[in-house]
Formats: sequence, structure tokens, C-alpha cells
Amino acid sequence: MAAVMRAEATQPSAIRGAITIDNVVKIYDPDGAAVMAVDHCSLDIKAGEICMIVGPSGCGKTTLLNAIAGFHEITSGRILLDGEVLCGDEKPKAEPGSDRIVVFQNGALFPWKTNLENVAFGPIMQGKLTKAEATEKALGMMADAGLAGVEHNYPGEVSSGVRRRVEIVRALMNNPKVLLLDEPYRALDSLTKSVMHEALLEIYYKNRVTIFFITHDLEEAIFLGHRVAIMTTRPCKPKKILAVDIPHPRDYSVLTSRRFRELMEETTEAVHEEALKAFAAGEKEG
Amino acid sequence: MEPVAGQVLAEQAITILKQTMPFQVAADGLLRKIAALGRRTSYDARAVIYEAGNKADDIYIIVSGQVEHALEPGAQARRPVKLLRQGDVFGWAALLEKYPHRLAKAVSQETTDILRINGEDLLRVLESDPDAGDVIMSRFATMITRDYTVPDLIAQLRRIHRRMHAGDIQGMDLTLYRFRQWIRSPRPYLMLTGFALFLSVWYLSVEVWKLPRFREMPGLTTVIKEWANPNPVYGLSIYTPEYYKHIWVSIRRVAEAFALATLLGVPFGLFLGWSKKFKEYVFPVFELLRPIPVLAWVPLAIVMFIATESAVIYLTFLAAFFATALNTMLGVQSIEESYVRAAYCLGAGRWQVFRHVIVPGALPFIFTGLQISMGVSWFSLVAAEMVSGQYGLGYVINTSYTTVRYPTIFIGMITLGIVGYTTSALVRVIGDYLMQWRTRELALGGQ
Repeated sequence: MAAVMRAEATQPSAIRGAITIDNVVKIYDPDGAAVMAVDHCSLDIKAGEICMIVGPSGCGKTTLLNAIAGFHEITSGRILLDGEVLCGDEKPKAEPGSDRIVVFQNGALFPWKTNLENVAFGPIMQGKLTKAEATEKALGMMADAGLAGVEHNYPGEVSSGVRRRVEIVRALMNNPKVLLLDEPYRALDSLTKSVMHEALLEIYYKNRVTIFFITHDLEEAIFLGHRVAIMTTRPCKPKKILAVDIPHPRDYSVLTSRRFRELMEETTEAVHEEALKAFAAGEKEG
Repeated sequence: MEPVAGQVLAEQAITILKQTMPFQVAADGLLRKIAALGRRTSYDARAVIYEAGNKADDIYIIVSGQVEHALEPGAQARRPVKLLRQGDVFGWAALLEKYPHRLAKAVSQETTDILRINGEDLLRVLESDPDAGDVIMSRFATMITRDYTVPDLIAQLRRIHRRMHAGDIQGMDLTLYRFRQWIRSPRPYLMLTGFALFLSVWYLSVEVWKLPRFREMPGLTTVIKEWANPNPVYGLSIYTPEYYKHIWVSIRRVAEAFALATLLGVPFGLFLGWSKKFKEYVFPVFELLRPIPVLAWVPLAIVMFIATESAVIYLTFLAAFFATALNTMLGVQSIEESYVRAAYCLGAGRWQVFRHVIVPGALPFIFTGLQISMGVSWFSLVAAEMVSGQYGLGYVINTSYTTVRYPTIFIGMITLGIVGYTTSALVRVIGDYLMQWRTRELALGGQ
């Protein structure tokens, strides 16, 4: 912990991983009835920042994430990573790549590979490391993340909290610029969740990647984020962007601090308003 | 301060354990065993229970009173001092991997009643029920990091050793282990009882009660006598080489058809599931041909293949192929989109996704398909052998019928049952062997 704090004090100017979301529109057209999921959404995410995206379930947050990751096309607008166009007018769909790695809502560790094989997967596929090299690096990274002992287990044999950590380490193995987290702790119980939050921060302090974190849990958002973008319900765009001025590194004592409660009060209403709209519109959770 | 040993009723200890964070989830049976380890001790106000650096052997549970618990700096706790009350557990250093000594100073604040449990003994009890034990230990870990604010690195708990844990063994050993578990469980005896009931119904209805519809049927004893007769009345028993020739011919045909169906059906199904375009072309035709029963193919098979042998194998192959291909396709479609996306994110190409995600992800369905395929192979084989062929179990049954050798029909049927069951079981064993990850997951789920 002490080492972590020193690293924070020097505040390395994060070099890469700035995302620019510029006027992005996404219209789904399932049965001829156009549904606008994202409406002229613009958002600048600084390199090395933890940006929390908060909005009611089904508001279109995941659509935005899928566009950045390159799973979906966008209808118009552009998304840039460090000034380079990921997707825009020329090509509506970004190429998925190991510079932007998604950690999925329900977890996507391959159940047929051991935790170690999962972590070593990326560099082997990209041909950057041999199997032996990747395995060695994976062992080291897992040990650093406190995952020694579960290397040779299959994901199905360990707790969901451990699985999420393995998945984040699997992403970090590829030195990504951006981690895209899609409500990764949604299915966890609140005890495990609190442990996971601190573990994520600890990993973040060591790696300093840009984190794009989707959640509908405001407390989680303010606790983790440098900034919290509260999104409107479908169609999705930022309603309010909150800069969280609680200094990092943070730990769980932040939750009981006065400033934290003030920030919660400041934002709860905005979130609640959108949740009511989403409820009235009968959005499907997802 | 000399500990004063007190007599505690086990029930009281269980009540206290149920109020603690680590133990509250344990079942009563396990709690009783843990409670039996407990020793009741009482401390006066201001008594030092232990100092940092002392040897850590027991864990402590507060029955009543208050204890001040001050962690030493080495524990790196964010909030080192904590006032403990009824139901709180301390002295957990006894369960830590790396620190067999006390990390804190514990002082009673008033007259305090404590339940002490030796850490080694506790681990031993938890090992007797490793699944519940793991839960308890993980709750200990949560308690240490959350309530005592000690970092994960320090809060490394000792592991529960499983005497024979499905997670630690591989391949053939795992299969053998599961077999031994099966022998020890009540399941084989239930199975034997089931067989005994079935056979006695046969015996009673034919030979004892002589029920009207069963009058023409050969009885159980007749069939067994004929089957094990060195000089069989109707010419076929386990002593005649003919018998084995029939079995061998049938097995060979099924093996050929099954191998062909697998070799063609699995890749075909994989591509059906993987490529939307391929499916658009092929699947409607596939679905049209699939429901046509084997017997309807017989005339065509005889016209197409001049040699009877090829015709029989072709007929056997058909249904097996459809079952394999369909299940494989469903297997590919069952794979969660997020696995494919994750693989692309991690830099895999299209072919790598196919090889590392699609094939292993579809494997559980493929093996279900192969089991079905093995079943329908036997089914179609008998149909085909009844139509044409000079050997095989289907042929035996059919000719025994026309020549009125009823016990031989039964010998053929029972042999088919046994051989069919064995081959299906073989497919299952191979599947389990290839899908360790799934076998272990199911084992953890208690299946």
C-alpha cells in the first residue's frame, strides 16, 4: 500500500489512452422502426483517467461501449483514440483490438481454458510472445495481482470475485490503452464488490490505464471515478458531468467522508430523474 | 491471568458461532463439530489476552464482554485499533499462511467470556467438509480485510487440503476417482435393485403367473439356459463362434458408420453454426432430409449401392450424421457472443477464434450429439440388417423370428442392449476426458 501511495504522489502524466467521443449517434433499425440509442453524444475522456458512465439500465451506455470496442457500427459522428479515428464517416465500425479491452458484464473468461491459459491468451494470439514467454509473464502478473494459487484452476472452479480479477489481469497482459468495463461487478454481492473496488484501484495505481467504466451504481461511480458522467435515459447522452475532487489513492474510508456524501447528494437527484424516465418508458434491463 | 475453564453446553457455543461473521453460514452439523472444539475461558477487566509476537494457536470468539484489539504496524491495517464485542472473532492470525504469531495486542475491557478454538483443530474439522470449509475460510478472509482493514497480502489464509479433490487430478485418474466414488455411493445398489425388479417382473409374468399376453414369450430361465448352453437348442449361445461373429460384424458396421458420421458431421455442423451464409444455402435442404426415417431410405440405398455391406453402412450412417451435425450446429450457436468478442479484443484472428473459442465452446453439445448419434447408429443398423445382410445382431433377430427361434430373439435383443450401452458409455467417458473443465465444474455443482 505504501508503494502505491508514492506512485500516486509522483502522478505520472498518463501518456496514452485519450478517447474522444464526438457527436456520436446510434440508431437501431430492427423492424423498420428506428430506435435512437445514442443521441449526438460528445464526451472527452482524458488519458489515464477513470471515467464512470452512470445511467439507468438500458439507457444506451453499453451501445457506446460497443462502438468504442468495435462490436457495433455507429450511425454518425466519430470516435478517436489518441487523436486517431477509430470509427467515423469513412468506416462506421471500429476494428476490435488489444488496445481497447472489454471486461464483460457476465465475465468472458473462456471456461475451457485454465485461468493461466486465459491470461496468457492475448499475447499468444497476437504472436507477440511465444507460449512459454506468455505463460511466464502471466504467472508473474497473476502473482502480482494476488492470484497465486488459482493459475491451474478453471474459471468455473473459483469465486466470481476471483474470476473478475483474472479477467482484468488478462486484459492488462496486452498493455491496453483503455479498459472498457461493462458493469463488471453487477452480479457480485456487496461484500465482494467492496473488496473488488479496492483491488481495481490497486491495479489501476500500478498500471494507469484509461478506464471507461459503465455502472448504474452511483456510489461505486463516485468512489472509483475521477469523473462521473451521468447519462440521460435512451437516447443516451451526458446529462451532467461531475468531477470528483476526492484525491486518489482512495480507500473505503472515503465512503464515510463528508465530501463523498455531498457529491452523492449533488448527483442522486439527476440519476433518480433518469431512472424514473427509464422506468416510465418501460426499458428492458440489460 | 489464568484462564478459567468453564463448562459450556455445545448448544450455547453453537448459538454464539451463529452470530459470528465466518461461521454464521455453516450448517448445524458442521457447527456442532466446531463447537465441540471450543474451550470457554474468562478474563478479568484489563487482562492481556495476548501480545503481538506471541505464538498464534487459538482463535477467540467473544461470548460476552469487550476486548480492545490493537494491530501492530506490520499488519498494515488502515484502522489498527478496534473495540470488539459479542460475536466478534479475533486471534485469526492462527489461520494465516505466513504469520504463525500474533499481529495484535488484545486486552479485555471488562470481565469477558471467550470461546477459544485451536486453529489446527479447526482446519482439520473444515477439511472434513472442504466445500463448506472453503466458504468459512473465505468469510474469514473477507472479515480480516474488511473489518480489520488488513490488506489482502497479509490476509492470506491457510488452504484447506482436500484429501482427494476433483480439482487436483487430471485425465484418467479423475475418471478412476469418479468410478471409485460411484462404487462407494448408493447408486450402484439402486441400479442393481432396478435390474432385479425388471427381471423378476419378466420371470413372474411369464413363468409363474403365465399372464395371457406373455404365453408365447420365452421365460427368463429359458433364455438364460439357452444363452449359456454349450449345445444350444437353437444354435446360438455364448459357446458358439457364430455368436461373436454376429456381434463383431455389427460393431464393425456401427464403428465405420459412426466414424464417418463424426468425421463429416462435426465439421459440417461447425460450419453451419459459424457461417451464416453457408447455413442459408444448406440448412433448408438439411432440415428437409433429416425427418425422413431410415426405412424410407432402404430402397434407394439398395439401388445406389450394389454391395449390401455399403448399403447397410450408408443407412446406419445417415441418421447418425444428422444427429451429429445438428447438435454441433446448436453447440456453436449456444456459445455466448461475449466469448467471441473477448477473443477478438485480445487480438485473435477469425481462424484463431474458430479454433480456440468455437470448437471448444461447442464441444459439450458435440458430445451430446455423438451420444445420440451412437444410439441412432444402433437403431438404424438393426433396421438395415433386417432388410439385408448375412450377419449381425439385427439379422439374428429377424431370421430367428422367421424361423420361430424365440429364445434366440431375446439373446439378440439383450446382446444389442449391452453392446449399445457400452459404446454409448465409451463416448461419454471420452467426452469427460476431453472436457476436464466441464467435468470439474459439474463436480463442484455436485452432479
